[in-house]
Amino acid sequence: MKMFKKHVSKHLSAYCHGELSPERSRSVAEHLLSCERCRREYDQIKLGVSLAKRLAPVPAPDSMWDGITVLLRGRSVDAARRPEHSWFGLAHIMAGGWPRFVAASAVLILIIGIATTWYYTRQPRVALEVEGLEGAPIVGSAPISKSGRLAVGEWLVTDSDSRARINVSSIGRVEIDPNTRVRLVETRATEHRLALAAGRLHAQIWAPPRLFFVETPSAVAVDLGCAYTLEVDNFGRSYLHVTSGWVMLELRGRESIVPAGALCETRPGIGPGTPFFEDAPEGFRKALAKIDFETGGQEATAEVLNVILAGARKRDTLTLWHLLSRVNGADRARLYDRMAELVPPPEGVNKDGVMRLDQLMLDLWKEKLEPAWFDTEDPSWRKAWRKGWED
Amino acid sequence: MERCRVIQERDIDGNVIEACQQGDMSAFQMLFEAYKDKVYSIAFYFSRDEASARDITQQVFLKLFTSIGQFRRDCEFTTWLYRLVANACTDEHRRRRRFVSFDDEAGVMNMIERGSQEENYIRRQINDSVRAAIADLKPKLRLPILLKYVEGLSYDEIANVLGCSKGTVASRLNRGHKLLARKLAPYRGALDSG
Repeated sequence: MKMFKKHVSKHLSAYCHGELSPERSRSVAEHLLSCERCRREYDQIKLGVSLAKRLAPVPAPDSMWDGITVLLRGRSVDAARRPEHSWFGLAHIMAGGWPRFVAASAVLILIIGIATTWYYTRQPRVALEVEGLEGAPIVGSAPISKSGRLAVGEWLVTDSDSRARINVSSIGRVEIDPNTRVRLVETRATEHRLALAAGRLHAQIWAPPRLFFVETPSAVAVDLGCAYTLEVDNFGRSYLHVTSGWVMLELRGRESIVPAGALCETRPGIGPGTPFFEDAPEGFRKALAKIDFETGGQEATAEVLNVILAGARKRDTLTLWHLLSRVNGADRARLYDRMAELVPPPEGVNKDGVMRLDQLMLDLWKEKLEPAWFDTEDPSWRKAWRKGWED
Repeated sequence: MERCRVIQERDIDGNVIEACQQGDMSAFQMLFEAYKDKVYSIAFYFSRDEASARDITQQVFLKLFTSIGQFRRDCEFTTWLYRLVANACTDEHRRRRRFVSFDDEAGVMNMIERGSQEENYIRRQINDSVRAAIADLKPKLRLPILLKYVEGLSYDEIANVLGCSKGTVASRLNRGHKLLARKLAPYRGALDSG
């Protein structure tokens, strides 16, 4: 009987999984009969195998496809189709034979002709002014040193050493931090729209609300007359910090209104989370993130809501007001009760109406809450804020 | 698990892949539906965190979408897909350096001693502990375990995905099994009786 002289420990997992040749497998079995040490190790491997077998597939969350399509919208479908190596495209055409190559050449010449004609007859392109603040930011495909023009559809890209500023017509300016990619989607009298694919920008807008928009992979930031910082990470999540006025984040009907001093996160496929003030305690923020972005079920929501309700101050009614429409039943009733303790609802607003999310009642209560969100008891704050951009 | 794979292989044929390469979004969605749970499962067990698993899964399918034109069919599509998954997991690991520590053998012991009337509870605890122990393995040991037990790949297939030899796969699985057994030794009795 041929037997392994050496111990067989390194073959034991493969032996368990039937990955050895029949001859090797037989030899391992024979060795195990006579070797106490390898038998002990085999028992250990078998325990490891039986434990690992308990791993079961985990279903992906239902909303994932929405998130992916939102992220894909920021990328060109054409780019996705195109192989990265351009020679592959040529080889592909050549593989079709000379007729295909000639046809492709003809199409190419036609495209060049049309492009040339367009270039010499085009209207001046709509664009915004860009100033280079540091390094050499790239506009379109060319670096700029001091100034340039960002046309609709073009990208402004900064590397780790460059920064830039976009002058948004006469209504404001946007500073672009290093390692940022931003595209001009639209610029006209009634709408200026950027798309922030990655990186960070600081916007300062002195225009009436709803004139300036920034699209991100997980929400659209709608300016309501304000200054703010908006950051998008590599996973399409965005982080908004408002330093003056208001910003609204929205995605497919889900909205968050974020005043000065507050922050809000967004996630692809989910949209805006619930806004909170920058001085909110860590536990409060973590609990909020669980409600916004984790799927823990009713019981888990009720549990984290305890943390939020216990830690809520008067100005945190900003967070509680947003949560009213994001939780159900008993949790909504608890929110109402806590809010009513902090800032009693105005006349005409009652629990029944809030429980069924009566929009008029929610708006009336919000109007009463807003001075607390701006740390002022003066009800004329809204007039002053409006006057700021009207001037 | 085996049955799932047959269904997916039947649904995703060369025509679907070719349509994806032409930029057909409905074909891409079909591909997503067929493989989303597999990708998410590995991501979830690798990171042991729902948010990270979502992120990894999204990155994998974005990468898949933008680079499927480069898939030349010189390997199985699933091998190519799992390479993307393994890379995304490794990237996420490097990015976050966030581990879930599993250091609760005393707790495991107490629970086993206590729990004769709580079989379901124990079963759930064992599964949770297995997940935690796997999340605590080094990434190079964790990935072969997940590809073997979550996806049911052979040693040859795992070697192709990870770009290493079959012997290396065997060796890493061996080390992974031993570490699991050592960490979860208190469960031996519960497994034998269950």
